[in-house]
Amino acid sequence: MKESLIILKNVKKTYKVGEQEFSALDGVNLKINQGEFVVILGPSGAGKSTLLNLLGGMDKVTSGSIKIGENDIAKYNDKQLTNYRARDVGFIFQFYNIMPTLTVEENVALIKDVTDTNKKVEEVLKSVGLLKHAKKFPSELSGGEQQRVSIARAVMKNPKILLCDEPTGALDSKTGADVLKLLKKQADNDTTVIIVTHNSLIAEVADRIIRIKNGKVESNETNKHPKNIEEVKW
Amino acid sequence: MLYKKMFRDMKKNLSSFITIFLMIMIGIMAYSGIEAYMDGMKETADKFYKENNLQDMIVYGQNFSDNDLKTIKNIQNVKNVERKLSVTGITDNDKTLLINFIESNDISKFYVVKGKGFEKDAKGVWLDEFYAKENNIKVGDKILVKYEEISLKEEVLGLISVPDHLYDVRDESELYPDRKEFGFAYLSINEIPEDYIKSKVMKEMNIQDKNIFDTYLKDFNYKDYIVYNSIMIDVEDKSKRDIVKNEIEDKLKNALAITNVEDTLSYVTYQGEIDEGKTYVGVFSGLFLFIAMLSVITTMTRVVKNQRTQIGTLKALGFSNGKVLFHYIGYGFWISILASIAGLFLGYYFIGTTFINLEMSFFEIPNGHPEMNISSYIVAILSILIVAIITYITGRSILKENPAETLRNKVPNVKGKSLNITKNKIFSKLSFSTIWNIRDVIRNKIRTFMAIAGVTGCCMLIVCALGMLDSMNYFVKLQFKTLYNFNYKLNISENITKSDLNTLYKKYGNHTSKTLNIEIKDKRGNRKSNNIFVTDADNYVRFVDNKNNLISKPKDNGIFVTYKLAQTEKYKIGDKVTWHIYGDNNYYTSKIIGFNKDPQNQNITMTRKYLENLNINYNPDTIYTNVNLSNIKEIKNVETIQNIKALKDGMEGMLSMMKTMLVLIISIAILLGSIIIYNLGILSYTEKEYQFATLKVLGFKDRQIKKIFIKQNNWVAIISIIIGLPLGFYLTDWLFKTAIEEHYDFAASITLQSYLISAIGTFVISYIVSKILSHKINNIDMVTSLKGNE
Repeated sequence: MKESLIILKNVKKTYKVGEQEFSALDGVNLKINQGEFVVILGPSGAGKSTLLNLLGGMDKVTSGSIKIGENDIAKYNDKQLTNYRARDVGFIFQFYNIMPTLTVEENVALIKDVTDTNKKVEEVLKSVGLLKHAKKFPSELSGGEQQRVSIARAVMKNPKILLCDEPTGALDSKTGADVLKLLKKQADNDTTVIIVTHNSLIAEVADRIIRIKNGKVESNETNKHPKNIEEVKW
Repeated sequence: MLYKKMFRDMKKNLSSFITIFLMIMIGIMAYSGIEAYMDGMKETADKFYKENNLQDMIVYGQNFSDNDLKTIKNIQNVKNVERKLSVTGITDNDKTLLINFIESNDISKFYVVKGKGFEKDAKGVWLDEFYAKENNIKVGDKILVKYEEISLKEEVLGLISVPDHLYDVRDESELYPDRKEFGFAYLSINEIPEDYIKSKVMKEMNIQDKNIFDTYLKDFNYKDYIVYNSIMIDVEDKSKRDIVKNEIEDKLKNALAITNVEDTLSYVTYQGEIDEGKTYVGVFSGLFLFIAMLSVITTMTRVVKNQRTQIGTLKALGFSNGKVLFHYIGYGFWISILASIAGLFLGYYFIGTTFINLEMSFFEIPNGHPEMNISSYIVAILSILIVAIITYITGRSILKENPAETLRNKVPNVKGKSLNITKNKIFSKLSFSTIWNIRDVIRNKIRTFMAIAGVTGCCMLIVCALGMLDSMNYFVKLQFKTLYNFNYKLNISENITKSDLNTLYKKYGNHTSKTLNIEIKDKRGNRKSNNIFVTDADNYVRFVDNKNNLISKPKDNGIFVTYKLAQTEKYKIGDKVTWHIYGDNNYYTSKIIGFNKDPQNQNITMTRKYLENLNINYNPDTIYTNVNLSNIKEIKNVETIQNIKALKDGMEGMLSMMKTMLVLIISIAILLGSIIIYNLGILSYTEKEYQFATLKVLGFKDRQIKKIFIKQNNWVAIISIIIGLPLGFYLTDWLFKTAIEEHYDFAASITLQSYLISAIGTFVISYIVSKILSHKINNIDMVTSLKGNE
């Protein structure tokens, strides 16, 4: 049995909107194992993205702890969080967030500026099928290709955790399936992949399905029979 | 990699970065250019004065002997002395030459442009280079110079510039040197014919027969009888000149006036030009820089803010705040470094050189060149720092947020309260576009303020540049139409006899004046040089009050003091002024009975009768006449004939030089103004693109959306014009009152036409730029614009 890589204990996150406080997460407890392919489902405003941001060290908890391995990142200061993001986490966004003025290979190589990695840009690009587009600018690529750049960039740092916010949200179903295959491949290589999505079909291929509603974990189930991506009817 | 990103981002946002580049470049170009020009003026003169040993003091008088020279030389602190005989001569083609006969040339040495340097035994003339150029005279040519009965045909040995002749006019009423008609020449004292001196001495001794003279004065040496009328003094320590002055006054009874070189016309005029320029540096270039920097700050802030999502992404990828900040500071840093270098380069070579060359056509000084001032480098560095700091502050404010927040697009902060005012009844009657724009302005106060500040500054500069020309034209009118009410001014020879003077009166009338060089002693005993204009010219020379209304000349019981002098010295009507004429140690006390305004000369005026009541002899130096002298080139006992039209033309010549400079300033103002309007227009357009796209989706026609966009820019232009016009007036007035030389009394007088040109010009530029920008609305891609804002 795999070890728990991520353990959340009573995580709360509140935002102030004007005079009022708004609770985005209200006492979330979770355990996620290393190498798991996790899908977090929930309606808009449920707190999915907030949870993802907290896991990625992009936001700070109001209370509670988030243990990544032995370390509680909830206690990290800004500098430690920066190092954590640089070393351990890869992000994939719905709208790709790749640098429009860098070429494909440069976007991926950018990671070398923040962390030491033994991965080679060429190999990573090859693994996501973008080698022939290496010299192109993002504007010359399709949405799916741009998302693959985003994956390549995340993979380049060989992260412990890959956090994906609606990675297929802006893609058609076929391209979305291709992207998922790449993400699944990362999980197979022992990277913990956490996907936040509205799309419940993605959950069918997940190892674990977490449902969130009104800032609370509604369910946290292990998918005993995850499907192959090809088996899902998109 | 981030460098690559930076340069590509710049390329992608080329128009923004080009405008930032241009604004910094123009701002620094204007500042460093005018500074280099002013410093160049100063350095060029300082070098020229030093290398050519400009005299420190001049003693004016009559008949300075060898002993007088020795006496002065023996005074402590005197390093060297040289005497000269300066007279006004006429050439064979009726040009006027100030002829200087000299014994040596160690003080105020020639700068030889062409030909050879001074040699006492050389036979020939060293001629004013500018005069020679204007009259096409070359080294080796022969010119004929006449002075009294002497007629000298001399070969031109050299073309020269001399440090005490940077600015030469026949008469102080001429403001612009007429190099074609007036110049200076130097000859060795040996060139004065012995016969001429001999005949003069014979005349003075009342001896008619040469033989008798020769018998009577066997050891006659004509050189002992040359009447030197000035001595140039070089001192060891300038600060002790007063001691030297007092000793000369005690020991040399024939010294009529002793002047420090700083009080001579050539020096004062040149220095005045530098002082004037210093204020321009502060005002024009400061304003240019200020307007440019305002706009750069706004643009840079927007550029960084537009990178918000990318900043968030970089943070999410693990880039440290420092690294991200450093990266974004680079955007402003590199562009401002390049722009500063270009600005310094163009400032020096374009503005500095152009202005210096213009000045060097006015002042006769060799090797004029701009001089880069340390303050230009400081301003350039400060500009770079300001841009970097602004980028830092903007970047830091974004980086303060956590990456999750940064990755979300900032929702425009629409505060309902601030917009409540637009819910009033009056507003409900306004059109959609008007209300939309009012709300947009309320929401974007800083952007609107910056736009108004930028356009106001440009409008001010245009008003000021045109206003300076208007004011100068007004001055010409006041001086040559209101105050001078004559056609010709005859400068009478110094030693004219009474009968010769009467002959002149008969021919040209007896409207005369005399200028007395005086020293005023204040209550603390300090003495200041000034002059008294003694009028016996009736209506030929008139007077005005502070509002330029004609007033009568002073009565015979006191003096008029000019307003500016009264202001400087805090004189009131009824106060008494103590003064003495140079060369006469008797002090007089005169009561101030009125004030008059004189745009050119801040002095004292009195009537002939008042002067005579003080028991001072009135022997006029000027006759004013309306007799037609257009065909007369020479009048006996008259040194120069000045035509009022020529004086006016001279003044207009100076104005034309000024025009060139002002055209340059206006061009820069228009260029800068257009760039600022375009730049702020782009910013405002970019911020509204999403809303315009939404309006397009809703079915608004391009024409309607353009109207909304142009309307706000028009408002900005109109408000800026309303603020800019009066500010332009105050700027001009301030410039005239503070920058102009002390002896002038100018005020801004701007015509309606100039206000209209400035207002219409500013509006048209703004409208054209808005029109060009509004074409972008045709090409709004609704899908991309709306999606990009998600």
